[in-house]
Amino acid sequence: MPAEPGKIPAPIRNIRELHAHLQTALEVEHSTIPPYLCALYSIKDGLNLEAAELIRSVVMEEMLHMILVANVLNAIDGKPNLTHAKFVPHYPAYLRHSNRAFVISLEKFSPTSVDTFLKIERPGKAGAPVERGEYATLGQFYQHIKKGLKDVCKANKYFNGKASKQITSEYYYGGGGDPIRVSNVDDACGALDVITDQGEGIRNSITDGDHQIFHQGKELAHYFRFKEIALGRYYTGKDTPKSGPTGTALPVDWNGVYNMRPNPKTGYYPQGTDLWVKSRQFCRAYRDLLARLEDGMNGQPERLIAAVAGMYDLKYKAVALMKTPCDDSGMTAGPSFEYVPPNE
Amino acid sequence: MEGKNDSGKTYDVVIVGAGIAGAILAKVLGNAKKHVLILEAGRSTSFTVEGYRSFLETFYRASAKVPNSPYPNDPSAPQPDVLNIGRIEPGVPSASGYFVQRGPLPFASDYARTRGGTTLHWLGTCLRMTPNDFHMKSRYGQGENWPITYDELRPYYEQAELEIGVSADVDDQRFHGITFGKNYHYPMRRIPQSYLDHYLASRLEDFAVNMPGQAERIKLHFSSIPQGRNSIPNAGYRPVGHTGDNNIGQRCEGNSSCVPICPVQAKYNALKTLKKVDPDYVEIRSQAVASKIEIDPDSGRVTGITYNTYGAGAAPGPLTARGKIYVIAAHSIETAKLLLASQACRTSGEVGRNLMDHIEIIVWALAPEGDPIGAFRGPGATTNINSFRDGAFRARHSGFNVPIGNWGWSWSCFSPGSDLMDFIGRSQPVLGRDLRRRLYDRVSRQMELWFELEQNPCATNRVTIDPEYRDSMGNFRPVIHYGLSDYVRKAMPVARRISEQIFRRIGAKDYTHYNSTDPCYVTYRNQGFFYRGAGHVVGTHRMGSNRFESVVNDKQRTWDHDNLYLAGCGNMPTLGTSNPTLTMAALTFWAGENILKELNR
Repeated sequence: MPAEPGKIPAPIRNIRELHAHLQTALEVEHSTIPPYLCALYSIKDGLNLEAAELIRSVVMEEMLHMILVANVLNAIDGKPNLTHAKFVPHYPAYLRHSNRAFVISLEKFSPTSVDTFLKIERPGKAGAPVERGEYATLGQFYQHIKKGLKDVCKANKYFNGKASKQITSEYYYGGGGDPIRVSNVDDACGALDVITDQGEGIRNSITDGDHQIFHQGKELAHYFRFKEIALGRYYTGKDTPKSGPTGTALPVDWNGVYNMRPNPKTGYYPQGTDLWVKSRQFCRAYRDLLARLEDGMNGQPERLIAAVAGMYDLKYKAVALMKTPCDDSGMTAGPSFEYVPPNE
Repeated sequence: MEGKNDSGKTYDVVIVGAGIAGAILAKVLGNAKKHVLILEAGRSTSFTVEGYRSFLETFYRASAKVPNSPYPNDPSAPQPDVLNIGRIEPGVPSASGYFVQRGPLPFASDYARTRGGTTLHWLGTCLRMTPNDFHMKSRYGQGENWPITYDELRPYYEQAELEIGVSADVDDQRFHGITFGKNYHYPMRRIPQSYLDHYLASRLEDFAVNMPGQAERIKLHFSSIPQGRNSIPNAGYRPVGHTGDNNIGQRCEGNSSCVPICPVQAKYNALKTLKKVDPDYVEIRSQAVASKIEIDPDSGRVTGITYNTYGAGAAPGPLTARGKIYVIAAHSIETAKLLLASQACRTSGEVGRNLMDHIEIIVWALAPEGDPIGAFRGPGATTNINSFRDGAFRARHSGFNVPIGNWGWSWSCFSPGSDLMDFIGRSQPVLGRDLRRRLYDRVSRQMELWFELEQNPCATNRVTIDPEYRDSMGNFRPVIHYGLSDYVRKAMPVARRISEQIFRRIGAKDYTHYNSTDPCYVTYRNQGFFYRGAGHVVGTHRMGSNRFESVVNDKQRTWDHDNLYLAGCGNMPTLGTSNPTLTMAALTFWAGENILKELNR
């Protein structure tokens, strides 16, 4: 669990705590997806193609991170849970692991939302120790888990070697990096390293390390992909974090976006109205998608195929909301990502 | 007129055409460190993300979404379009499009002249031919024998399936004598079959139909279609996605516009192979229209390919590219045209002849009320009824493959647009919720079967050239003489009888009706049909075992010119009952091997 405010996080002492930390990691990785999806869906069809592609690629990698965490958790007999009532944060929310320095909202694609994305993906200082209070960066959080893995799982204790619960590239695709089959501590640490490398980048570089691990083309770490959008310019292969992007212009049309009211809630609309129904339908679709992902992460990887269709459905429902005015303010409704019980 | 050799360079191999055949050859030869030049008549637009996207946008805007609708026609390298098919009156050619059609019937298919060629708008079906398809003459007394057998081609089928990235399960594909190597598996698992496929197969598997003229009944057998389309990879294979962004198109998404354009390039196209060629050894020159194969009259050897460029940076006059070996891989009709224009390969007199296509007899019906079968979902076809691909009946009439169409009545009736027009165009228009309900009810129950009749080789079905008909660059337009033999026509009522039994068995209402005003309307014994072209264009420069009856030998080299090879479906002596691209790709790997041997000699 995240450290208590004011205290240095205590070391992870047993397998139960390790499972809990990894479950938190799953929730942290997931918590950025709804805001990224909101920004992505808000971009009108055919506009901001470059920016949309960058955001899409980040979302795909966040999904990969969830799968990597699930593979680690499953390798040591954990049980990934994506359907409990608090799995999806109530936006606006703090990032789960964080030192509460900023709030993340469900917002349309805008300079403000991209600025938040930059804060989410901000690289840590190389080798900085975990500070007092909570983790300042995701990297620190994963450092803590890796240490716990090494301490608790000495000589690969607890590793079950069950291949059936490992998700591999048969079922996950479409983003930088591949799922890693986890069967020992080294695999597990490698999988967690991919997460931090893709998010923050490898030391003093703008790239994410995929070319080193997966022999793929060089890709930018998430932070630098958002930096390209914020600055309206691409990085070149020679650029560094210090130099900033010096490549060709990346055109951004901040107006080519549905004007979604931030942090929408189903409760804004009178019960039974068209918008209320549509908003609820969206939440149900998201619930169902998470349920399929959970099945996929618990020994039924073929359920991930259905999840792909679920992602399309989700987009259609979100865009339908974003096209509908929510009141007279000139703003539109949007997807609220609220919890809906399984039986509704 | 021969042009100047622009670069002064002599390549190992000069290839005309950057479609799938040219791409495979360039990859094979470039990997062996041979210097290759490809001359492509069309533009390279498809090769960039923006260019490919512009094709998509053109397609979305097009009112008639025909195969060439995304791909702009360039007057300097014009291409045929099925929208130009018109009725041909005796003695009056139909010449409104690129083709000059002399009839008596219209040739009903097209192709794309652009980098990547017609694979940009193919469906992606990758069937192997049956062993008997290679021996039509000795087995059934029809058509021709091939100079090679199924077993000889089998290793090259495997190479072609790997290159294209075919999704299929071997166990589904063993029928009519088709065999696979031990432990062979396709690169990816089979593409899921549609709900309609399961609906029909569960009601009709082993249902025996009565076939006119045949004593015993024939059982229906359904098999999944092998497709050049990404699905779940088998161990060791990595799917190839969009050529501009490999993260996209890693799996088929069911966009259902495979023909004419896959938005994500989950479907194979030749651009994927072209992206893999070694750029240090392979040069692709676009907007370079070959006009003549230069031949030394004494030795009969080819000395160069003369071509003209167009657009920005075009050379003022003709240029000539030089190599040690030359390959024409420009599509059956374009290759025949270029050979004719160059007076090449004249010994047999077969250049341009034996033009063949699959003759599509479409039948359509509505599933029983309350039984929506989910039309308009998934790739165009995911299951074949393969019972009629081979059998004794081929001595009397065409054999045929029968794909189940997943896209409602779109091919037969232009659904769903025509359904909408029907409802709102009535004197009492159907509107609002009622319109939505009725459209859903009708469209979701639409089904088509495509009876793809094998056309037999006929010397009179041919591509010719005529100095009267040229394009804006002065190159010849293809003049096409075309008709359907009784061998093909005889199969039409047979197909119809079979489809009637199928529809009756499942309780579907048959709506098939062939309008006699259709330009492709034909009759057999007073029964009328219309046909569509499958785009499976073969035969125009066929291979054979002697120089007097064929244009190329079993090695794919022309009989008349030692250093000239031909690649493409034009080399196929017969069409068989499979879509020809996979077989052509296999033959092209074989040709590449032969060219390498000759270069290394």
